Amino acid sequence: MYIDPKVLNEEAEKRCLDKTDQEIVQKAMEDGIETAWDRLRKQQPQCGFGQLGICCNRCVMGPCRIDPFGGEPKRGVCGATNDLITARNLLDDLATGAAAHSDHGREVIQVLLETAEGKSQGYQILDAEKLKTVATEYGIETEGKSKEEMAKALALAMLEEFGTIKNEIQLSRRAPAKTQEMWKKLGIVPRSVDREIVEAMHRVHMGVGADYANILLHALRASLSDGWGGSMMATEGSDILFGTPTPNTALANLGVLKKDEVNIVMHGHNPILSEMVVIAADDPDLKKLAKEKGAKGINLVGMCCTGNELLMRHGIPIAGNELDQELAIATGSVEVMVIDYQCIFPSITDTAKCYHTKVVSTSALSKVPGATHMEFHPENALDTAKEIVKLAIENYPNRNPDRVRIPDKPMKMMAGFSEEAIRGALGGSYKPLIDAIVAGKIRGAVGIVGCNNPKVKQDYGHITLGKELIKRDILVVETGCAAIASGKAGLLVPEAASLAGDGLRSVCEALKIPPILHMGSCVDCSRILVLAANIAKELNVGIEDLPLGGAAPEWYSQKAISIGAYFVASGVFTVLDVPPKIFGSPNVINLLTEGLNGLINAAFAVEPDPVKAADILEEVIEKKRKGLGI
Amino acid sequence: MNTVMVKPERCIGCRHCEVACAIEHSQNKTLFGAVSEDPIPKPRIHVEVGPGLLTFPNRCRHCDPAPCLQVCPTGALQRDAETDSVIVDYAKCIACAACAMVCPFGIIQFDKTYQIALDRNVNTKCDHCIDRQRTGRIPACVEACKTGALEFGDVNDLIRTNRKDFTFKILRPSGAEVEVPEVPPNIQAYRDIMKSIADIGIFRD
Repeated sequence: MYIDPKVLNEEAEKRCLDKTDQEIVQKAMEDGIETAWDRLRKQQPQCGFGQLGICCNRCVMGPCRIDPFGGEPKRGVCGATNDLITARNLLDDLATGAAAHSDHGREVIQVLLETAEGKSQGYQILDAEKLKTVATEYGIETEGKSKEEMAKALALAMLEEFGTIKNEIQLSRRAPAKTQEMWKKLGIVPRSVDREIVEAMHRVHMGVGADYANILLHALRASLSDGWGGSMMATEGSDILFGTPTPNTALANLGVLKKDEVNIVMHGHNPILSEMVVIAADDPDLKKLAKEKGAKGINLVGMCCTGNELLMRHGIPIAGNELDQELAIATGSVEVMVIDYQCIFPSITDTAKCYHTKVVSTSALSKVPGATHMEFHPENALDTAKEIVKLAIENYPNRNPDRVRIPDKPMKMMAGFSEEAIRGALGGSYKPLIDAIVAGKIRGAVGIVGCNNPKVKQDYGHITLGKELIKRDILVVETGCAAIASGKAGLLVPEAASLAGDGLRSVCEALKIPPILHMGSCVDCSRILVLAANIAKELNVGIEDLPLGGAAPEWYSQKAISIGAYFVASGVFTVLDVPPKIFGSPNVINLLTEGLNGLINAAFAVEPDPVKAADILEEVIEKKRKGLGI
Repeated sequence: MNTVMVKPERCIGCRHCEVACAIEHSQNKTLFGAVSEDPIPKPRIHVEVGPGLLTFPNRCRHCDPAPCLQVCPTGALQRDAETDSVIVDYAKCIACAACAMVCPFGIIQFDKTYQIALDRNVNTKCDHCIDRQRTGRIPACVEACKTGALEFGDVNDLIRTNRKDFTFKILRPSGAEVEVPEVPPNIQAYRDIMKSIADIGIFRD
């Protein structure tokens, strides 16, 4: 389809920050491919009741909505006010996000159990040291035990905690004593992973209380069951099975796709199947088959958080973040996109139909019409992985080279900064980092996390905020789409330290690390919690006392609500860019942005301008420094 | 003269008015019936998005004199004496779109409607819900609006409210009791945020 190049250019610049993304978004427009940006336009105007959080669509006395201008109706049919409706909606969203993270965690631990029992195919326990450490935390006897025995006992202990009646989750004990004390005082110690989510569903039912603050307190507890529970189990389980990440170099952006190789994009969140695809792609027979079909090799690349998991542990190149999923297909060069679950556009198979790309769904809970379903089971995971690779190879001759455009230059980046790796790089203790913070070389640290959202120019929020913070000598740690954005922008290399302030630059140069550290996928926000907890413990303070901040500049997902809430509930002040659906209730806004400060020494802020967001974070960091007397 | 007055600052883009309008112009007159009709009824009021993601519900103003009525070559557009509404005699409409060319508000549209047994598009602009008005009911869009963005009544009465508010504001700028409340600070804060977001994405002007 012919579109005036000037129009194409302008639109591409509005959609994406990254030049390679701009190139392919233009191709997608020329090819007539519908993308999330087009769908956002078609959704305008978006309903104000929903955006303000004052639409209640729970029961069939409704749906109800409240007049945001103070007139009638002031209550839903049941009598719920704007405060109650907003709080219930937020808890519902948060529980959805916590459930997504935690169910992912459960599946990882189930594979760990089957591996320990010798029932899985292709899996090994690659990090025995971490296994021993975590098993010891759980009070499991490790002396004279085999890896398998330890792993089985640990997996069972973790799975038990999804529905435990002992009223605590072991990993939440990793938080500093002072922070745990604060949770106890507020009554928000997470009691089990599933229970808090089930209770959230209970509490959003009509007639289960009318106190918005009581509902929001439970939201904090449910988020803690995710951050210090389900998500942390996902991280620890994946590390035990596939290895704890160590710093590596890799490549990022759509330029990692190859013109003359079979391209397989692994998209979603859970690495359990894609780890097997990594093994399968190394199979000599399959490599030979690829040659026979005219390809020079098999090129595995990642997308979104499945991509982050593979990037962290194997340095597998990453094609992009959430808004790149359609663009990857629009390069015309993808033979197979393997999907597991979460953040996969339901329309992805329609996008694929415009090219030769096959979408392979692999999870029983995440089927998509139009996809080839090759279901993952631990017992035959490697066989399934090999079949997927074979399918991709056999699809290679169907690629139309005339419709292929791949950007030239992938960006170099570093990843693999697990908490253990950061601690290791510092010589085993956080003392050097603490010294640098006390000396003021580093003012503090901010975790930038979260998604893409087509309402914001792709990566603009992440990159502008990241650059702004490092300039002010604030160390940045990242996960998820935010980390991929920085990878594409060239900020995840040691040379990027030149963009940092003098203090942070000198530390990065001494340690040969980038000023922004890639800590993993979105469940790996749990690594940020452990990092913060360990620093706090060395100083004998709570996380809420540390000069830290959090930010989700381009968030869209319910999972991000859960992450933001467990950051705040753990004492980390967090800035959101896109407003959450709470603006219909001044009381809920006040509680979340002011009131929480008095309870947990942290709160939320909403600020769409990334430079102003950096101002807010800097102010919080300086305030906390003062509190510590530094 | 009765009219529908729009208060754009109170429109939040929910499109309830559009849905209510489409239902009113269905055979069945219920939501669940309307969605399965053929031809599918369409709204005659349009919530459009402007700068900063602000919205405006646009509909026929039933002008007098009405440019559309003046240029219609077949006399399809007529004035209803009882309600002062500009209405369409679908049988006479030839879909020439001359009315659309002169409409100052761009609200003319051509569609099929159950109201005439013809398999062609005719001018299906807002009819001011004259069927409802004749039975003492207000237009469907106004009834559906839960934010007070659409109000129906005597034009001078509606204007009088604004006039009175202005009088109070100019004489007692702070803390004046006004009939039309100001935009609450939380809603204004939300709009400011959405304007900033519009400025850094595809909705930039």
